Amino acid sequence: MKKSVFLLLVACFIFAGCQKKEDSAESAATDRRPAKLILTAIPDDNAENMREYFGLIAAQIEQVTGIPCEYVHVDNYAASVTALATGRAHLAWFGAVTTAQAYMQMRDALEVVAARDIDKEFIAYFIANADLNLEPIDNLAELAQLAQGQGWTFTFGSKSSTSSHLMPRSFFAEQSGKAPEAVFRTVAFSGSHDVVLQKVANGEFHLGALGQPPYDRAGEEIRARAPIVYTTPKFTNYSLSARADLGADLIGEIRSVLLNLHETPEGRQILDYLKAGKFVDADMSEWLGYVDLIESGVDIGG
Amino acid sequence: MILVALAAGAFVAAEWDFSALVEPELRAAALARMLAWAQTFAFPDLSGEFLRHCWALTLQTLSAATLGTALAVVAGFVLAMGSSRAVCVGEEDARGWRRNFPLRSPAAALCSLCRLVQDVLRAVPDFVWAVILVAMIGLGPLTGALALALNITGILAKVYSELWDSVEERDYEQVRALGVGRLNTFFYGIRPLAARSVQSFTLMRAECAIRNAAVIGAVGGGGLGADIWYQIQFGAWGKVTTLMIFTLALTLTADLAANFIRRQLRSDPNHPCAAKLRGTTGKLLPAYLGTGFVLGVVFWSLWFMGWGDNAPPGQQSRNYLQPALMLVTGESWRNLAFFERLLQPDFDLAALGWGGTHRSVELFADYGPLEFWKPAAWVAWDAQLDKWFVWRVIKSASVPLALAIVGTLVGVVGAIILTYAHSLAFQIEPSRFTGETPHLAVRAVRLVQLVLARFTGLVSRGVPEVMWAFLFIAFFGPGLLAGTIAIAIHSLGVLVRVFSETVDNIPYRRFEQSFAGSRLNCFGYVAAPICWRDWMTYSFFQFESNLRAGVVLGIVGVGGLGFFFTFNFEWFRFEKAGTYLLMIIALTVVTDRISRLLKLSRVGS
Repeated sequence: MKKSVFLLLVACFIFAGCQKKEDSAESAATDRRPAKLILTAIPDDNAENMREYFGLIAAQIEQVTGIPCEYVHVDNYAASVTALATGRAHLAWFGAVTTAQAYMQMRDALEVVAARDIDKEFIAYFIANADLNLEPIDNLAELAQLAQGQGWTFTFGSKSSTSSHLMPRSFFAEQSGKAPEAVFRTVAFSGSHDVVLQKVANGEFHLGALGQPPYDRAGEEIRARAPIVYTTPKFTNYSLSARADLGADLIGEIRSVLLNLHETPEGRQILDYLKAGKFVDADMSEWLGYVDLIESGVDIGG
Repeated sequence: MILVALAAGAFVAAEWDFSALVEPELRAAALARMLAWAQTFAFPDLSGEFLRHCWALTLQTLSAATLGTALAVVAGFVLAMGSSRAVCVGEEDARGWRRNFPLRSPAAALCSLCRLVQDVLRAVPDFVWAVILVAMIGLGPLTGALALALNITGILAKVYSELWDSVEERDYEQVRALGVGRLNTFFYGIRPLAARSVQSFTLMRAECAIRNAAVIGAVGGGGLGADIWYQIQFGAWGKVTTLMIFTLALTLTADLAANFIRRQLRSDPNHPCAAKLRGTTGKLLPAYLGTGFVLGVVFWSLWFMGWGDNAPPGQQSRNYLQPALMLVTGESWRNLAFFERLLQPDFDLAALGWGGTHRSVELFADYGPLEFWKPAAWVAWDAQLDKWFVWRVIKSASVPLALAIVGTLVGVVGAIILTYAHSLAFQIEPSRFTGETPHLAVRAVRLVQLVLARFTGLVSRGVPEVMWAFLFIAFFGPGLLAGTIAIAIHSLGVLVRVFSETVDNIPYRRFEQSFAGSRLNCFGYVAAPICWRDWMTYSFFQFESNLRAGVVLGIVGVGGLGFFFTFNFEWFRFEKAGTYLLMIIALTVVTDRISRLLKLSRVGS
C-alpha cells in the first residue's frame, strides 16, 4: 500500500518534469500572436477612473489588433511589475521607477512602446497645507531650513512611485543635503497621488509631494487648500511597456494605436484624462538612468 | 509581574509619540477631524449606483473568502495531522525532556517540518502570497482567494494541531490499547474528542476571512476590503459609511449563519430548551441541514466565481476559475524562480568582518565588555551594532511586539469589563439562578445594556483592525498610537464575544450555589474565576494574531518590521526583504512554541 503511493508520487514528479521540458520548447517559439492581451497599470489614481480610461485604451487596442484586450486593475505596484515580468500580463502602464524595476527583472524581454509627451519633461510638486501660509520657494534647502524644529509632518505617495517619492526625495536630498526623515517629524507613504493631495488639504499632513497630472486634475477648491510651494526640475516618467515576446509586428500595431490616439474623439477623451497632448515614440534607453540610479543603491528611505 | 514587565518593555523599546494626545494644538486638530468624520459619517452615500456597486463587491468578497476558507479547511486539516504530536509522533509512553527534541525520530522530524510549514504560511503576509501567486496564475479574484487560503491554512493548521495535542492522552487510551495505527487512533480517538472546538474555531476563522478579505483587491479581484481601504484614505466618509454598513451586514450574516450551523451540528441535550423526545429523523436532520448549508454556500461560491455575474464594476464577467488550470503547467512553477532571491536573505556578514574586507562594526571600540554597568557603554554598543543590517532588522520587531502587547492588554481589560453587560446569563436570564423576579423596567434596562454591549462588540470586531488603523491614522497621524488603539478596539470586539460565550456556557447551578445577592459580585467572584483559564487561552491566541496584525499595520503606516519588509519587497530588493521575512517568521515561530510549551489550549474539561 505504502509502496504504491510512493510509486504514484514518483510517477507524478516524472510526469511534471517531462511537461516542464515540453513547455520550455514551446515558449521559445512564442513569436505568434497571443489569444488575448492583458493590460495592467500601477495604481496611481482611484480604481473607478483607471478602470474607465484604461478600459478605453484596451478597447482601442482590441479594435486595431483584433485581439481581445482586457484591463485588469491592481492595487499594488509590485503586483503589476510581477505580472508583466512573469508573463501574466502583456502590457503595463508603468512609472519610471516601475519601468526600471521591470527592466532589472526582464532586461531585453521588456520593450517600451510609447510615452506621453509630458513624460519626457515631467514635474512634481511639493504642496503645503494652506494654514501654514508658506510662500513659494525656489530651493528645497529653504524648505528644510523652514521646517527645522517645527515638527512638521510629510507624506509621499506610494513607495515605488517616481513623481511622488523617488524624484522628490532625491531633489530634496540633493538640494538640502539631508534626508527627509532627518527634517520632518514623520515621513509617511499614503499610497497614491490623490491621497497625498487629500491628506495635505485636510491637514493630516503639513506637507506632501505628488506628480503634476493628478494635481492638475483635482478640483479648484481642494487645490486652494493645498497650494504648491515648490516645483521640481524636469525628469522622465511614465511609459507604456510591453513584453518583447509579443513580437515586433504586434508591438508596432499597439504603438500605432497609441501614437494616433489624439486623432479620434475617444482617444482625446483618454488623453484629456492623462493630461497629455499626445503619445510619442520612446525607447528604453531613456529610462536607463533610473536603472543606474537604483542599482547604485541610492538612499530611498527603507 | 510578567505582564507589567512586558508592558514596560513595550513602552521603552519602541518609539512612542504621544504628542497627538499631549500637545493641545494637535489634540484640537485630532478632535476636529473626529468630529468632521462623525458628522459626515451620519450621511451614508445611498445612491442607487453606489449601492449596486457595493452589492457586487459584497458578493465578490463572499465568494472569494468562502472559497479561500473551504480550501484552507481541507489543507489545514491535512497539515495539522502532520504537525500534531499526538497524531504524527504519538509517544504516549515517553516522558521527560526528550519529548521536545525534534530529531529524536523520523516522525518527530516530520512533525517539526509540518510545524515550520504552517508557521511560514501564517507568518508571510497574505499580500505577499498574492504577489507570488500573480506570477503563477495571473491576476484575478482567484489569486486573492488562494492567497487567503494559504494564510488561513497556516492559522487553522496551528489551531487544529494544538487542539488535538491538548486532548488528554488517557481519554483515547482505549482506542490506542486496541493496537490500531496512528491514523485510526486519530480518526476514532482524538478527532471526535476535539471535534467541537475544531468546529467552532473553523467557523470563527471563516468569519474573520470574510471581513479581512482586503487582499483580493490588491491583485485585481475587487472586494469590499480594498474599496474601504481606498475610500478611507481619501476621506470619502459618505461612501465609507455605506461600505462599512455592507461589511457589517456581511459580518452579521456570517455570524448568524455560523450560529445556525453550530446549532444544527451540535445539539446540547442539557440545555433547558432542548427537546428531548425526537425520532431518528428529528435527530439526524439538523446535521444534514448544517452540512447541506455549508456545501450550498461553497458550491455557490464556486459557481459565482466561475459562471456568475462576477466582474468588477465596469467589466465583462468571465470564468475566474480557469487560471487554476495553470497550476498544472510547468511554466507557472518555473515562474516561482522570480522570487528565488527571497530565499537568500542578506545577513550583511561583511559588516561583522566575515567574508568581506570592509568591517564596519567595532563593538568594543569605546567600551570593553567589562564595562557593562555603564549606561553609556550600552548606548555606544547599540550605535555600533546599528551599522549591522541584521541588528536593525531585529530592532524593527519592537514595533509589532509593542503594538501586540499593549493592544492586547487594553483589549483584554476592556473585554472583561464589557463581558458583564454582554452576557446573556447576567442580563437576560439571571432569574434562573438569583430567584428574583425583576420589574419590567429593570428587565428593559438590562436588555438595553445587553443590546448596547452586543452592538459595541459587533462593530468593533466587524470592522477589521486595518480599517480601524486607517481611521485612527486619519485622526492622530501615523504611528504606534493609532495602531495600538486599532488593535485594542478590534481585540475587544473579538474577545468580548468568546469571553461571554464561556460565561454563558457555565451551568446556572454553579451560580445558584454561591449566589449572594449581587449579580456583579457573582460575576466577579464566581464567573470570572471559572472562566479565567479559558479567557487567558483566548487572550494568548489573540496576542498571537495581534502580533501578525502588528506586522500588517506596519505596512499601512504604523511603521516597524512590516513597513521595512514591504518597502524592500516593493523595491524588489528581495535579499533584504528576505531578512525581514525571516524575522517575521521567527516571531511567529517563537510565540507558537511558547504557546505549545505552556499548553494553553485544553479540550474536554
